[in-house]
Amino acid sequence: MPYYATSQEWLHQSSLLLEARPTTTRITTKYHISKPKPRRSKKTPSTSSPTTSDTTTTTTTTTTAPRGSLTLKTYDPLSGSCLKYRTTKAAEVSRLIQSLGRPLGARMAALPLPEAADELMAEAPLAQGTPAEEKRGEDALPGGAAKGQVQTQTQTQTQTQQGQGQAGTGGGGGGKGKKKRGKK
Amino acid sequence: MGHLSNDEFFVKLTELFDKKKGKDHGSIVLVQKRLSHDQPVPEPTSDAVLPDLHPPQPMPVLIRATNAKGKKRREDKVKLSTVVEPDALPAFFDRYAEVCKSGMATLKPRDRSKRKGKAKKKKGAAIPAGP
Repeated sequence: MPYYATSQEWLHQSSLLLEARPTTTRITTKYHISKPKPRRSKKTPSTSSPTTSDTTTTTTTTTTAPRGSLTLKTYDPLSGSCLKYRTTKAAEVSRLIQSLGRPLGARMAALPLPEAADELMAEAPLAQGTPAEEKRGEDALPGGAAKGQVQTQTQTQTQTQQGQGQAGTGGGGGGKGKKKRGKK
Repeated sequence: MGHLSNDEFFVKLTELFDKKKGKDHGSIVLVQKRLSHDQPVPEPTSDAVLPDLHPPQPMPVLIRATNAKGKKRREDKVKLSTVVEPDALPAFFDRYAEVCKSGMATLKPRDRSKRKGKAKKKKGAAIPAGP
């Protein structure tokens, strides 16, 4: 039952768990408001028990608002694996809930995931992906790279042709640079 | 209790969060899982031992929300649930994130530490400024 330090790590592991057991895995999001701890109020009852105003002021100064926390838990009852992440920052809420929908919810619904998400998963810095996941990432990357190469090749070909048309045989390299500058 | 429609769910969930505003304790529990009840899943074969890994069509997602009241306060317990169809997932979670963000008011706001730092700098000029 580990708490992960980063939400990325939690997200990655949860995604892997969902991939392995999409039917039984559930994600629990618990928003908990705990009572504020009166930290200085230990001394006040003994020293100034008659003056109640003192105690109230001290409690209000130490912790004014109740503290909230958000705990995300991915649990699979069949394997018993349980992954947790806890935060108290409001800034993370929107992103976390969105992540419940986009990689995780989509995986739950068995929707085909866009490739970008997989690449992100494979490139997650702290995470060690399963061999299958890494393979997929590797497969996806060379494809993209090859596409890019093909595109650049065609571009250079057209550029060189244009350059030849303009400046003869020697102007291939120069034409490239000029064209690129012109495009920008 | 049957499932609510997505719109009704959001209305009730907002109410649930609003009830918690101003309280100093309590929790709200949200659960999501694949809706597997009464769903057509092919029988496992020798080729596909785990047919749920790659179902033929996308499956709906079940979302539950409760105010986490236990047995002793059963009459106070609020239970909400809705089923999100696969094609409605992105829109649903956009709205879900909005509702949660506005509902979870006791979490630490983003700017507080920065403001504090600035105030300290202004007050105590002797403290060397950070990078």
